Amino acid sequence: MVPPAPSKVALIAHCLLNQNAKVCEGARYPGVVSPVVDALRSRGYELLQLPCPELAFAGTRRWWAVYEQYDTPAYRAHCRRLAQAIAPRIDAHLRAGAEVILIGLDGSPSTGVRFTSSKPDWGGRPNRPQDDWDIVPGRGVWIEELEAELARRGLPPVPATGWALDMGRCDETGASRDLAEFLDRRERVARPDGDDPVSP
Amino acid sequence: MTGDARGWRIALVPDSLVNPPRDASTRQPDVMRVLDSHAYGLLQLPPVGEHRLLLAVIADQIGEYAHHGYAVVAIGIMDQPECGLHWRSLAPLLRHRGIALPPRHRVRLGLEAELESQRLAAFLADYDIPVEEQRRWRG
Repeated sequence: MVPPAPSKVALIAHCLLNQNAKVCEGARYPGVVSPVVDALRSRGYELLQLPCPELAFAGTRRWWAVYEQYDTPAYRAHCRRLAQAIAPRIDAHLRAGAEVILIGLDGSPSTGVRFTSSKPDWGGRPNRPQDDWDIVPGRGVWIEELEAELARRGLPPVPATGWALDMGRCDETGASRDLAEFLDRRERVARPDGDDPVSP
Repeated sequence: MTGDARGWRIALVPDSLVNPPRDASTRQPDVMRVLDSHAYGLLQLPPVGEHRLLLAVIADQIGEYAHHGYAVVAIGIMDQPECGLHWRSLAPLLRHRGIALPPRHRVRLGLEAELESQRLAAFLADYDIPVEEQRRWRG
């Protein structure tokens, strides 16, 4: 009898299943970001929605913010609480041998994976001109705290990428291509006997 | 909210409806597809088990939506414990936060999937918050 294939689980940024969590003017889809869901489901991934740290901390009517404004002890403590809430589920999947990946939200001050938003002088009266923040390489605060919680539990790093929703403009085609390439690389890593092996 | 596409609708959804069994013989509607076509986002509930902190976090998020003009519904599963919604734990958490319990729809598994999709679609199409509340929050 052939043993069942190990499960594949995608940790997915909250707003990729629920655009209502986005900051005002940040929602690009009514509800579900279907290109992400379709790409993951078609490759056999189960979805595990992460909590939205900004919504639970600053609410639905929060101001836009950059990494430096969320990089505070109180917000990091909040993110650690959320990480402790969801980590047992991730822990169980990893210990059961599942392939676990993380799909964040590039450009987000909280959920960025490859890129986050930065503007050290943002603060005070919220009258900044549009799009004057910078996109810089690096994790968002929530992803930093989530990864730290998983490491505290002795779990291995989870391969991660981001859907480029918060990069200043929405390029669905480019974001879909990036995600497909990431998922294809994971497939080749999971099947090293294939024709085109690559490094993780 | 210029240039914002949010649908102002959120559904609480059991894990097993987000991630249907891989067994192709199990007939059930593609709930996520139906929700998407009706402009709903979703809040995924965990599978059966002890998830006290996670449910509290989810209740906090539901409260934020319910108090700011969003329509929140719950999509359960007929004949499953607490409809797959952790209702015995979640309901008191919602009441404690001053949130009315969201209207519930129960999906029936093992029946004609297309018919169940239509029942769900009709439920979703029929529900929203009162018009004056929509005007207050949604602009």
